[in-house]
Amino acid sequence: MVKSFITSFKLKNTYRVNSIIYSIKQIPIIKRILPNTLYKNKALKIIANIISILMEIVGVFLGKFLYVLLMIFLMLQIYKTNTADTFLHIFTFLTLGGALLNTYMFDPTKDKYYAMMIMNMDAKKYTLSNYYYKLIKLIIGFLPFTIIFGLMVGLPLWVTLLLPIYVVMAKLAVGAYCIKDFQKTRKARSENLPTKIQWTLVAIFVLLSYGLPALNITINISIFLVLFIVSLILGVYSFIVIKNFNEYKKMYKQLLTETNMVVFNNQSTTQIIKDNNLKQIELDVNDTSNKSGFAYFHELFVKRHRKILTKAVKKQSAVIALILVVVIIASFANNEFKTITNSLLLSYLPYFVFIMYILNRGTTVTQAMFMNCDHSMLTYRIYRTPKVILGIFKERLKTLISINLLPASIIAIGLPLLLYITGGTDNILNYFSLFFSIIAMSIFFSVHYLVMYYLLQPYNVNTEMKSSTYRIVQGLTYFVSWYMIQIKLPTLQFGIAMIIFCIAYSLISLFIAYKYAPKTFKLRI
Amino acid sequence: MKLIIKNLKKNFEKKEVLKDINFEFEKGKIYGLLGRNGAGKTTLFNCLNEDLDIDSGEFYLEDNGSMKKISAEDIGYVLSTPNVPEFLTGREFLKFFIDINKNRIKDLKTIDEYFDFMKIEVEDRDKLLKDYSHGMKNKMQMLVNIIASPNILLLDEPLTSFDVVVAEEMKEMLKSIKKDHIIIFSTHIMELALDLCDEIVILNKGILEEVDKNELDNEKFKEKIIEALKEG
Repeated sequence: MVKSFITSFKLKNTYRVNSIIYSIKQIPIIKRILPNTLYKNKALKIIANIISILMEIVGVFLGKFLYVLLMIFLMLQIYKTNTADTFLHIFTFLTLGGALLNTYMFDPTKDKYYAMMIMNMDAKKYTLSNYYYKLIKLIIGFLPFTIIFGLMVGLPLWVTLLLPIYVVMAKLAVGAYCIKDFQKTRKARSENLPTKIQWTLVAIFVLLSYGLPALNITINISIFLVLFIVSLILGVYSFIVIKNFNEYKKMYKQLLTETNMVVFNNQSTTQIIKDNNLKQIELDVNDTSNKSGFAYFHELFVKRHRKILTKAVKKQSAVIALILVVVIIASFANNEFKTITNSLLLSYLPYFVFIMYILNRGTTVTQAMFMNCDHSMLTYRIYRTPKVILGIFKERLKTLISINLLPASIIAIGLPLLLYITGGTDNILNYFSLFFSIIAMSIFFSVHYLVMYYLLQPYNVNTEMKSSTYRIVQGLTYFVSWYMIQIKLPTLQFGIAMIIFCIAYSLISLFIAYKYAPKTFKLRI
Repeated sequence: MKLIIKNLKKNFEKKEVLKDINFEFEKGKIYGLLGRNGAGKTTLFNCLNEDLDIDSGEFYLEDNGSMKKISAEDIGYVLSTPNVPEFLTGREFLKFFIDINKNRIKDLKTIDEYFDFMKIEVEDRDKLLKDYSHGMKNKMQMLVNIIASPNILLLDEPLTSFDVVVAEEMKEMLKSIKKDHIIIFSTHIMELALDLCDEIVILNKGILEEVDKNELDNEKFKEKIIEALKEG
């Protein structure tokens, strides 16, 4: 058993080390310096090994620390109940919900796939040894934080020592239940695809964790002790069930299938994205086009992708309109709300950069364009002639801008309207600033995404994302938009600056796209 | 007309995949490109199709003594895995291709005539391409590559996914159009190469060379090819 564990640990470490080296090699500039023989390099291997071990150690503690801190300790402030009891209460019930969602045993991971399916290791030995390791890690990981936070809220030391054991018992019980279920139904269910019953139970436990203390009801140490003893009995029984179970191989044969292994590797993830995109295609007999050439081609694309194109923005627009109506009604009903809204409108326009970023459908649409269209079309040389590339680019730009303008125009009209209703402004230009800057932002994001897609075309023929530059640009876009949330600027000045920026950016980037897209827009090899 | 490749080189980092490619491909012939796994057949095609930048060398078309740079219109490239836009029907896909190639198609036929030529059944013509079988997608891919009659046709393992009947149809089809094209056909299957191709070209150790059949019978010729592939 120990030997089996060491073998599997080494295996896991090897590919972890390789993936660390691989990610180092993905960084632009550095990747040019590093040769392909990298994976042989001793020094680098040692560094990667150290990182790998650090990751393992951090993995033991970090999650538990954050969990106890954020989900329990910091939540205590909300309640007026006795803090020690509340801590115990939330911990007890959240553990039950967590045990349902996270069994380890029924999590189809690539470690398991490699070890049991590819390397053909003994399934029972592999599973049990790794399972025990996981449980031990759980106790070690929880212990410092149940002690520290537990003592801080005033729990006796012996209770804080019992808490990690209680977690393990709960996990064992769910694990054994799932095994029993497999024995009965002969179906192994992935924990990543919980059933409705599971979701309901989890919801109930979460509700009990956070809801009861709000009603001034919590458990106390004696009730916990009863629950602990029950869990101990169940846990020991479950342990015997798990230890005596002999069909791990069969169980994992079912569990470790492609559909379950969502995060198994790049290819199947992209395959899933691709399949999902294919599902978006709808053929309606009335979907025809009287145009010709690329206009014809593009129009059919748009019509058959209504679900992700027009339908999605219509829903978006409806939700925005609803929020707008609610805010308007609230402004009429409550005077304080009215004044706050008014001042927000005059100083928080930068916030809307982030909102426009979130609303923009650019990423989804360009992804669908690639998966369902360019992925295949780019293999035809004629499709890559400048005339065709730019012709289709123009059609797409029109579509993308107009799609995004629908929700944007509701905001663009809504904000000045709201400003007027909430008391108006001294400077009439503020109305125009709100309207035009929202429209400009919407157009800016549409242009930005499409131009980036054409200039950096990040996918290869297997629909894998290959460009780290594209990822960096995406990350930067997010970061800048997010950063805008913190900024408070007068609406008029910011609005005008934004409008000028958007127009300039759009013109320049379109110019660059027209010049370079015929060269850059091709499949990566 | 000839496709002339001179001193073409392509490296991946330090690995020399195409060392020094020199060859003249003539119009009217089907060339069977043989090479072992990883020899660089697809890389060569990707270079000719300008999907990959070459490190040095050149390739161009020569017609009646005059040199001509290869443009997108000159090349049709049929990949081993069929790539068709799945949101279109077969008919719409053809219409789009005819639309954008209008000026270059010499004897424009109707869409149904093209379908007939490729033996695509009437009931399949208005189905979405995503519901086509693998073989039918391959036929479509082949068809749109032939429609505009490009001078050069690069076929990467194109017949492997067809059933025997269709494969036979496709072979006949290729023979019927070969007089107007330079066809380069990569394959692993020796019988197919011997049966269909006029010349056998071997890509080995980054170099392209022709294997002369001379007076050899098929068995002897096969042995000679295998010897050539093992060399080096």
